[in-house]
Parts: sequence; structure tokens; C-alpha cells
Amino acid sequence: MDQTLVEFVKTLRTAEIKVSPAETLDAMACLDRVGYDDREFLKNSLALVLSKTPEEKEAFDTCFENFFNFDHFEESDFLRHEDDENAGEGDGDSNFEASGNSGEASSGGGQGASGATPEDLPELKLQPESELGRMLMSGDRNRLTVALVEAGREVGVTDIVVFTQKGLYTRKIMDAMGGKALGEEITELQGHGGIQQKMLSGALKKHRDRLRDRIRDYVEKQFFLHADESGKQLREELLKKVKLSNIEKRNFKDVQEVVIKMAKKLISIHSKRRKTFKRGQLDIRKTLRKNMQYDGMFFDIKWKAQKVDRPKVMAICDVSGSVSNYSRFLLMFLFSLAEILPKIRSFAFSSDLGEVTDLFEHSTLEDAMAKTMRDFGNGSTDYGQMLADFKSHCMKDVNNKTTIIILGDARNNYGDPKNEVLREIYDKCQRVIWLNPEPKMSWSVGDSEMKKYAAACHQVEVCNSLVHLERVVGNLLRNVS
Amino acid sequence: MALKNDYRLASVDVIQQNFESRNYIANKQIATAVFLAYHLEKPVLIEGPPGVGKTELAKTTAELLDLECIRLQCYEGLDESKAIYEWKYGKQLLYTQVLKETLDEVLQGAKGLSQSIEKLHEFGDIFFSNEFLEPRPLLKALRSNEGCVLLIDEVDKSDHEFESLLLEMLSDFQVSIPEIGTVKAHTDRKPLVFLTSNNTREISDALKRRCLHLYIPFPDADLEKQIIHARVPEIAENLRSQLVNFVQELREMDLKKVPAISETIDWARTLILLHSETLDQDLVNQTLNVILKFQEDIESVEPEIATLTNKALKDA
Repeated sequence: MDQTLVEFVKTLRTAEIKVSPAETLDAMACLDRVGYDDREFLKNSLALVLSKTPEEKEAFDTCFENFFNFDHFEESDFLRHEDDENAGEGDGDSNFEASGNSGEASSGGGQGASGATPEDLPELKLQPESELGRMLMSGDRNRLTVALVEAGREVGVTDIVVFTQKGLYTRKIMDAMGGKALGEEITELQGHGGIQQKMLSGALKKHRDRLRDRIRDYVEKQFFLHADESGKQLREELLKKVKLSNIEKRNFKDVQEVVIKMAKKLISIHSKRRKTFKRGQLDIRKTLRKNMQYDGMFFDIKWKAQKVDRPKVMAICDVSGSVSNYSRFLLMFLFSLAEILPKIRSFAFSSDLGEVTDLFEHSTLEDAMAKTMRDFGNGSTDYGQMLADFKSHCMKDVNNKTTIIILGDARNNYGDPKNEVLREIYDKCQRVIWLNPEPKMSWSVGDSEMKKYAAACHQVEVCNSLVHLERVVGNLLRNVS
Repeated sequence: MALKNDYRLASVDVIQQNFESRNYIANKQIATAVFLAYHLEKPVLIEGPPGVGKTELAKTTAELLDLECIRLQCYEGLDESKAIYEWKYGKQLLYTQVLKETLDEVLQGAKGLSQSIEKLHEFGDIFFSNEFLEPRPLLKALRSNEGCVLLIDEVDKSDHEFESLLLEMLSDFQVSIPEIGTVKAHTDRKPLVFLTSNNTREISDALKRRCLHLYIPFPDADLEKQIIHARVPEIAENLRSQLVNFVQELREMDLKKVPAISETIDWARTLILLHSETLDQDLVNQTLNVILKFQEDIESVEPEIATLTNKALKDA
């Protein structure tokens, strides 16, 4: 029983549900109480113990359905011929207790890999010579299953890492089961020319195709069960190095995860500084203790107020046409940061500046980004206007604890750069950091005003990949906090 | 565990029925959570949008078991002196004064400094003993004699530090007070703990790991009708389905704050007060502020009222 649960937990971890050993123990205690009898009850109970966010719950549902279920897609195949023996073994729904021994449910994905009864060839006299061929024609599905699983073990199907290896492993398993000999026999039979031989080769071919399908299913299942973190890590490392603009839409989700992970990493290095204040709530306990030695006279007074000092960040993001790809990612990054740094304020602009802090706080990432792009995106750039807007709206909130991050290419369409405004901001705040997605070479070329702006920044960085971004934000938190 | 009335938690079905008789419509997941919370002695962390009955679940459970419901409302800056215990400083001060005056009597017969100090030591820990302890909700819950339901409400509003403070309580049902030692709950009558969170920030993994995690989403139309029926039984059936349909439609819209069950219930009560029998455009227009709490939301819904009302009427 416990083995089943451990297997299940392994599957959950593969599906990125974080299950700690303690939670596994809880699940076992829960199983003792609940048992395997009532499927829905079991599912609800395990969901409570093992999945801890709405997203995880969704993933859990899928995993549970897949795991505690024999694949019954073969059932129709068997039942036609073999309904007398082992009926329902392949059916997880009607026979739920069967999954009690479900070491098989996970590893024996190819359960019933033979539906191979010689259905349409009653008059066939010839017997195939290759071992696999005989196995297929005999319709002994147990032997086939065993052979399949053994072949799988032989080629190490559990090592499968990425999806594209599916074909490779399917072929490997086929070969290990003796597919080559079978292929040769089929060719030979076809060359022979006799009716019996033709019929036999036809039947063998059919069975072989069916077997291949089953092997592929088996491999796919193994992929879902075993392609764990290793494949993911590989992908994430790759993504970090890819230029932000090149990352395709379909990888968007993965990027999000990297960003969120990074943001979490950042908070762990972001240490809190506590200050004891000269005013606040009287800490009676401390004061009493401290003053016991002075005969209960209060002259060393202790205060309760301690302030956690966190950087106050304002981020301004260029979302005009030329840099929109990059800013999507900065926005995404800011969104994750906003969860950590409560004081972050986010702005977006093409020419006029707009604050998106509230939007970020109250909507989901996708929503917030879509709306930001809709409201502010893809206009022509005017940095001068942006700075003027910033000055008139937000200057009063800027103080010596504020860090201002600007993301943009500083290409101002030959307008007035108003770098004196940036200078003013520079003097007032603690740090101005400018992240430019363009390489340094092109900073002084064309309508780029980077040189002028750089003078009024504490830090100017090229930033066009996640690695860059990670480094910059790491620096920011270390310096400010 | 052996709380009184625990036969009312005998199985998931029993729990569902009992909740229903107390006008709380629980689906299977909710009932399972309560069942396991009791039998595995684990706290339940309830998440979900505001107004779906997270707090109500704890209160109803307390009512069901006929136990006291001790509630700790979390907020920023909540610390152990408000959550666990505090010393009664006034009393300690007073006693210090009294002691000063009676010092002579106490020290009577003592010879020399060392003997006097020895005598004084006998009093040493009195000031930090149970008599001077002011229990706060968590300590109260641990000390309650017949068990209780402890509701830690909106735990996401508290600071990270407070979360860590909760860990000892949640995993071992005990708290440590440096001056006294560890206070443990009665092994057979541990408090049944519910934590609620609106997910305004991520709860730490350490806390989540110690809890069962229940997510209560907005109910579907059928469940919501049942809930309205249980809470506002006097409402006519057709009006009930109309207003539920209407609210369900609203939840599909892009609003700042979508109406929750509590708003639907309020609305049902409002409509009864107005003696309405069926939903119509004007009525919706006048009472929209019961279900929508932001002017922007009301403005964005107003042009749609006609369509929404018609749809709700048709579906009902």
C-alpha cells in the first residue's frame, strides 16, 4: 500500500507539486483513515494533504486521474476476444481496488500491450519463425507485457529526459524485443510470393504496427512519470541565456517560472535591517526588566517599534514599439518583485507616463501585462515627456531612500531629451539605474541619448537576457537594503 | 482525539448533513477537510476569494461541536504579546510595592546577607508565574479544558515573523513561554485550528506544510442556489434562480471586485425587503450597490444591465 503512495508522490513531484517527506507521512496517516475504497473520498483527502495552491490542485487532479487508472483504451480490443479471462483488469474505474497493487499502474503503462489475437486469419497454417512474431500471433498478452517492460528496462526508458526522445526510445524498445528479426521475416515472406506467406506477413505487419503504438504509449507514460527535474533544469538554463526578445511565445510560461524563481532567490539574499527607534510603543516588559536594577525607577526606556527597512523602488518602463519585447519581461519581473517589495511603484510609457502599480496589484500577470501594453504600448517614444510627467506627478515621493529603475533604449526620435530633469531626480533619490537592452556599441549612434542620460545615472547596464536582469536586481537589493 | 459531540464528525456524509442543518452548505471537499482535520489532528488552511464562507466554516464547526470559537484576527504588526500571552505588568508593579513594604517581615530571622538572599530567592519566580500571565487567543485555545475551535483569521495580513511564531503551535499544539516553560494542549482535546487567507501574499511553505490546504472557489449556480435557500429560506424559488444567474454572469465580467456569496445573500435579503417577486431592470439598477462595491464596477455594469437581466430571466 505504502509503495503505491510513494510512487504517486513521485509522480506528483514530477508534475511540479512540491511534496515534502512530512507531507508524504501525512498522506499515509490520511490513507490509514480513508482507505482505498471510496475513490472520490480518497482524491479529496489526498488533495487536501498534498497540494497546497490552486494551481497545484489542478495539477493534482490530472495526476490522480492518470495514476489511479489503468489504461482501458485497450479494453475494447480484449473484450471482444477475451472477455472470459481477466475481464476488467484493464479497467480502473469499475475495479478501483485493483490499483492497490499499482506498482503496475505506474510502471506497467503498457499493460495489455497485446491485443493480438489472430482474429481475421482462422485458416492460417503457417507459423512465424521469429520469436516476436510467434509471441504476437499467439496473442499471449501477459508474455508480451512482460517482454515490453523488460525491454524498457533494458534500454533504460526511465532515463528519458525530453519529449523529443520518445521516438528514439520507442525504436530502442522495439529492437530490444526483437523487432529486427520480425522485420526481416516480414520482408522475406513478402518476397516469397505464396498466398499463405502473404497473409501471414500482412497479419504480422498489422500486429507490429499495433505493438509499435503500444510501445509509444508506454514510452509516453514513462516520459510523464520520469522526465523529472533534470529536463526542466536543462531548459531553464538555456532560457536564461537566450536573449529576451528571441524567446518565443510558447516558452513564455517557462520564462515566467524562471523569473518568479529568481525573484524568490532575491528575497533570500535581501536581508532585513532593523532599526530601534527613539519613539513608538513602550515595551513594558523590556523596560521593567531593564529597570529592575534601578529599583524600579524608569530611566532606561525601551521602545517596541522596530522598522524593517526595505528599498523603495520606482520602475519606469518603456513600452514603445522598439523595445516592447524587452519591457514585457521587465514588467513581468517587476510583477514578481511587487510581491516581495511592498513599496514598489511601476510606471509605463511611450510618451505619456502612466502608473501601473494598482493594475499589477489587482490583476494576474497576463492581465496586467496585456492591459499595460494596450494602454501605453507601441507609441513613438518621448523620453522628455516621460521625465516631465514623472517630475510633476511623483517628484514629491522621491527621497533619499528611493531607487529608480528605468528600462529603455533612450532613443528619443531626436526630441528634447530633458536630461536636466533626470539630473534633478538623480540628486534627490538614492539611486538611478538605467537598463538598456541595446549593446553598448550602439548607445551613441543615431537618435540614442544614452550618453546624456548616463551622466545622470548611478548605474547604467546593458540588459537583454535574464542573466543580466538577475545580476542587476541582485546588485540593487544588496546595495540598497 | 475525543471532543464532545464528535459523533457529528463521524463521516463525510454526516458532516455534510450536519452542516446543512446549520445552514452551511458544504461540498464534499469542505466536509472532507473538516473530517480529516479532526481525525488527523491537523490545522486547515483555507484559501479562496473573499466572501465564500471561509470564516463561516470555522464558526459553523464550532457551533456543530458545541465548542467555544476562539478567534485571532491577524493584522500587520501582530506580535506574540497580542497573540500568545502578556504579563500583567500593573499587577507585577503593585506586588513589587507590597513586597517592598513587607520585606522586613519576610527577612525576619535571617542572619547575614547570604541567608536573606536565600529567603528572597524563594520568592524569585512569583512575578513570572501563571498568576501574572494574561493569556491571549493562542494560549487560551491551548488551555481550554474541553477543546475549542481556534480561528486564525486572515493570516496573510500578518507579518512573516508572526507566521514563524505560529509554526510551533500548529505542528505540536504547544507554545513556549521562556519564563514558565512549554504549555501543551490536552492530548485528547487539542483545539481544532482553522486558518484563513485571502492570498494577498504567498504563505510560507513551512506553514503550508503543516496544514491541510482547502481551496474554496466561488460556487457553481446549483450550489449557490442551495446556499441562498439555506440562508434566506423565505425567498421565492424563481427569484432565487434569477438572482443567482445574474450574479454568476457578473462573475464572468471584468470587475474590480466580483460579488461573493455573502453579497448574493445580502442581495437576496434586500429583494425580500423590497417585496420584489421578479428581477427587472429598474430593480437591478437600484440595488446594484448591494452586490458591487466599487463605483467603477457599477459604471461598467450599468450599460449591460438590460442584457444581463434578460439572460438571467431566460435561464431561470
